Amino acid sequence: MTKRDLTPLFKPKNVAIIGASADPGKVGHIILLNYLNEGYPGKIYLVNKNTAPILGRKVYGSVLEIKERLDSVVIAIPAAAVPEVLEECGKAKVRSVVLVSGGFSEVGNVELQDQITAMAKKYDIALVGPNCLGIMNPRSRVNTLFLPAYKLSKPRIGGVSFIAQSGAVGSVILDLIEGEGFGLSKFVSYGNAADVDEVDLMEYLMNDDETNVIVMYTEGIKRGKAFLELARKITKAKPVVILKAGRTEAGASAAHSHTAALAGSYESHEAVFKQFGFTIANDLTDLLYYAKIFESEKAPQGNRIAIITNGGGAGVLTTDAISSSKYLRLAELSEASKKALSKTMPLLVNIRNPLDLAGDAGDKRYHDALYPIINDPNVDMVIVIILFQTPGADSKLAAEIIGLKEIMAKPMITIATGTQYTEMHKVMMESSGLPVYDSPRAAAMALEALFRYYAYKNHKE
Amino acid sequence: MLLEYFKAKSLLDKYGIRSVESRYVSSAEDAVKFSRGNKIVLKVISEKQLHKSKAGLVKLGLEEEDEIKRAYKELEAKAKRIAPYKIIAQKMAGSGIEAIIGGREDPQFGKMILIGLGGIYVEAFKDFALRTCPITEYDASEMLDQLKSRQVMTYNGESSAMLTALLLRISRMLKENPSIKELDLNPVILRKDGYDVVDIRVLE
Repeated sequence: MTKRDLTPLFKPKNVAIIGASADPGKVGHIILLNYLNEGYPGKIYLVNKNTAPILGRKVYGSVLEIKERLDSVVIAIPAAAVPEVLEECGKAKVRSVVLVSGGFSEVGNVELQDQITAMAKKYDIALVGPNCLGIMNPRSRVNTLFLPAYKLSKPRIGGVSFIAQSGAVGSVILDLIEGEGFGLSKFVSYGNAADVDEVDLMEYLMNDDETNVIVMYTEGIKRGKAFLELARKITKAKPVVILKAGRTEAGASAAHSHTAALAGSYESHEAVFKQFGFTIANDLTDLLYYAKIFESEKAPQGNRIAIITNGGGAGVLTTDAISSSKYLRLAELSEASKKALSKTMPLLVNIRNPLDLAGDAGDKRYHDALYPIINDPNVDMVIVIILFQTPGADSKLAAEIIGLKEIMAKPMITIATGTQYTEMHKVMMESSGLPVYDSPRAAAMALEALFRYYAYKNHKE
Repeated sequence: MLLEYFKAKSLLDKYGIRSVESRYVSSAEDAVKFSRGNKIVLKVISEKQLHKSKAGLVKLGLEEEDEIKRAYKELEAKAKRIAPYKIIAQKMAGSGIEAIIGGREDPQFGKMILIGLGGIYVEAFKDFALRTCPITEYDASEMLDQLKSRQVMTYNGESSAMLTALLLRISRMLKENPSIKELDLNPVILRKDGYDVVDIRVLE
C-alpha cells in the first residue's frame, strides 16, 4: 500500500475554483462564498471560460494562466467538460483536486469516470470525488461544501473527523454534530472515489495530530486487502466509529454451504470491524453518541460504574441499562467512600450504588457525594444523573459538576433529560467538555463502547 | 465442486482436526461388518443433495443387524434419484452440543472463519461469530464470547481452550489451502472431554 500525502487537500496554501460563478444559484458561487466567509488565508484564484470579473475579482480562463503552483483546485463544472480541465490541471502540476460535479459512475457513466481516474494517476493528483461535497477543515478554513450556510449549524473546532461516501448523510451529520456539542476536525464526503478512497482518507486521519476520533459512514469497503492491513494499525492509534449501510443486501441466497448462507457481505464487513476494534454504530444517533464519548473521555481502568442521581426512578432505569450490558457492572463502593458519605449525606440518603441524593439535592450535596468517588479504587467510571426539573438542580449545580469533571481522572458523563431549561444546561456542560446523554440507554451504550475499545486497544497478543 | 469426503477428511487429519471414523460401504452386509456391534450412522453422499438431513438421507443410531440392513436398503432406494451417490458409514459420536465451524472466501476480505450453534439450529437461531483469517488466540476467544449460546457450547475453561485451539487450527487450514471456497463442519459434537467432527463438506 502506497502512502499518499493528502496534505494539499486539507491544508492548501492556495486554491483555484474552476467554474467560479457570479450567479448566486451556482455551486461555483457558493463555494467561492465559503472560502471568503470562512476567511481562508491563502490566495484564491477564480477560473472560468467567461473571464468577466466576479465580486470584483480577476477571473482566469485556465489554470495554465496562473503562475504559482496550485496546492488545491475545486472543480464545479458539467461532467463532459471535466477531462479537458483536468488535463490542464495535470499540465499545471496541480497537487490536489476536489471534483464536486456529478454525472459519472453514479449515473452509469463509468467510462468517463475511468478516464478521470487514469488522469489523476498519470499526473499524480490527489483527487477527491466526483459526485461529492468534498472537504471541510475549519482549522485551515477550507470548505468546498456547496450547502447554503444558513441551512445547517456549524460545529465548533475539535478532534472528531468524519468521512462518508454519501454527501447527504454527511451534511446531516455535520448539522447534528453541533447539537451534540463536540468539535469537528475534518469532514470529507468523497463520493464515487475515482481516486482517493476511504483507505487513503483513514490512513491520513490516522496520522493526523488534529484528529482524535475517526467516524465513518460506508456502504461497502472497496479495497478489502488494503483495508485489512490498515485496520490492524488504525484502532491501535485512535478510536474509529463506523456505520455500515446495506444490512439487508441479498446475495448469499445461492450459497452451497450453511457458512456461506450465514456469512454474507454485511456480516463479513461487521466481522472485520469487530475483529479490529472498530465501534459499530447501528444508526446516525448511535454514531454521534459514540463520537462524543471518544472525543471527551480517556481510557477507563475497568468496567465498574458508580451512579449518582437526584431521582430514584432515573437511578433504577440507569442501573437496568448498565445491568443489561454484557460488559459493564455496577461498582461496590469502597468502605472509605461509604464512611465519608455517611458523614456528609443527610439521613434520607441510602449509602449505596446507585446513590440517590433525593430531589432537593443541590450543588453542595452533589459535591459531597462525588468527592469520595474521585479516589474510590472500586469505581472506574461515573454517571451523574441530573434531573433539572427538581428544586435543587440549577446552574450552580451544573457549574459544580463541571468543576468536579476537571479534577476527575476517570471517565464521567451526565444524563439529563428534558427540554428548554435542561437543554440550556446541557449546552453549558458540553461546551465545558462534559458529555451529556439524554437517556440511560444512550449513556450505557457510550460507556460500553468506551470500555470495549480500550480493552481491545490494550489487549496482549 | 464438492471435495470427495475422504480427501476432505485427510485434509482435516493433516491439521490435527479429529473427525469420526468413517468408510464407504458397498452393501447392507458391508455396513453390518463396519459396525462390529457399535452404534453407527449411515449417510448418502451426492453432489446433487447437500442438505442431507432435510432430505432424509441420514440414519442415526443404528445398532442391530436388521436395523442396519433395513436402513441401508431404504437409503439406497432414495439415493437412486440423485445418482451418482455413495453411502458412507460412520461410528456414532457420543452425545453433546452440536456446533458448526465453517469457512468461506469473501470477495473483499479473503478467508473468513465462522463458529456457531450447529446442527438443525443453524438457520433457526443464526447464532454465530465470524472473523477474517488468520485469527489470533484473542480473536478466537472473542468469537466464543460473542455467541449467545456460549454457555451451552463450552462447559468450562478447559473446553473453551480446546475450542479456541480447534478454531486456530481451522483458521490455519483455511489460510494455507487457497483452493477451499466454502467449508462446513456441521455438526461438530462438543463434549466435556473433547469433540468430534461428524460431517465435512469442502467446496473447491
